Amino acid sequence: MRRWLLAALAGTALTMAAMPAQAAWKSYINRELGFSFMAPGEVKASVGTYRGNIAGPRQTIVYRSVEDNIEYKVTVMSFIQAQAEGANILGEREYMFQDGKKVLVDTFARVEPGKDSVYGRKIVVDLPDKKGRSTGAFYFTKGKLFSFEATVLPASGDFASPDPGRFVDSIAFVLSRTEPGAVELKTPKLE
Amino acid sequence: MRLTALATLVGALAAMTAPATAAWRGYISHPLGFAFAAPGELKVEKGTYRGAVAGQHDALVYRFVDDDIEYKAVVIDMSDTANDAATLLGEAEYNFQAGKKVLMDTFGRVDRQYGRKLTIDLPNNAGRATAAFYFINGRIISLQATVLPANGDYDTPEMGRFVDSITFFTVRAEDDAIELPVPPK
Repeated sequence: MRRWLLAALAGTALTMAAMPAQAAWKSYINRELGFSFMAPGEVKASVGTYRGNIAGPRQTIVYRSVEDNIEYKVTVMSFIQAQAEGANILGEREYMFQDGKKVLVDTFARVEPGKDSVYGRKIVVDLPDKKGRSTGAFYFTKGKLFSFEATVLPASGDFASPDPGRFVDSIAFVLSRTEPGAVELKTPKLE
Repeated sequence: MRLTALATLVGALAAMTAPATAAWRGYISHPLGFAFAAPGELKVEKGTYRGAVAGQHDALVYRFVDDDIEYKAVVIDMSDTANDAATLLGEAEYNFQAGKKVLMDTFGRVDRQYGRKLTIDLPNNAGRATAAFYFINGRIISLQATVLPANGDYDTPEMGRFVDSITFFTVRAEDDAIELPVPPK
């Protein structure tokens, strides 16, 4: 009996040691920008750039983490002066995400129920030159374009991982839905 | 010689038994800023559009029927909620296909406007519909073509011809395009 127990314990310990270390998923919230999401790993904020024919040149706010060779990235852009162009700006962003890539999924995405619904799209693409697989979800609400992208890198190789889906499906715009104790994200200053 | 004449006669008879299709004409609305082409007789109707996010809105419908295919250009004025354009357009696209069998769902790109093109089979064998949706100048503009069961040619290129005829650069409209009437009060 004692031998059985010892063997079971040793087996569990060996299995856990062989598995890649995975960080816990945490909730993040940015009340100023009006959204929350969940991601694993250490989320770092930075400022980036984006350019689209319709959107023009834009500074972006980026929240990024990498965990187990999967990159999680949230990009927020403000279009307060062009909100009525939101459908077009969103369409252009979605188009650019999949342009020249192999599209595996391109479907409706909806966050929040009923009259609070925010409609967008979820797209999964294989990156060229076997650089990985990207899952993106895109929304335009309250004058801001939100992009959620999770990329399974070749070093991970687990292209069927449920983690990209978990990430892009964790978005909330009605902040009362955010888990209590979510980490408050600071908004980097734009120039 | 006699054989050739007979063949010509048979060909002519076959052409006469084919369904009569009306000529396609160009239509343009300068106030609404779009143009398209359609066959058949134009009828202008008022409709209602309703969505959970959009609420209720009046819709203006330019409708044609030819060879048992219904062609509709639907204009929904959303100018009071245009800041929510992306979600309003997404909701209209979603509602179009909800509960139906989707055969195509792809990007629509016309004259610097991004929208979507969808093809669905209607429930209860009621036909097949192809539609394109765009949001421009505070309005949802949707072109929808439905092949009715009486036609039955669900692979007809006419649906695509209709939805792809839309242009938002009115200079691209046909030279002899007919100005669409002002909506009825």
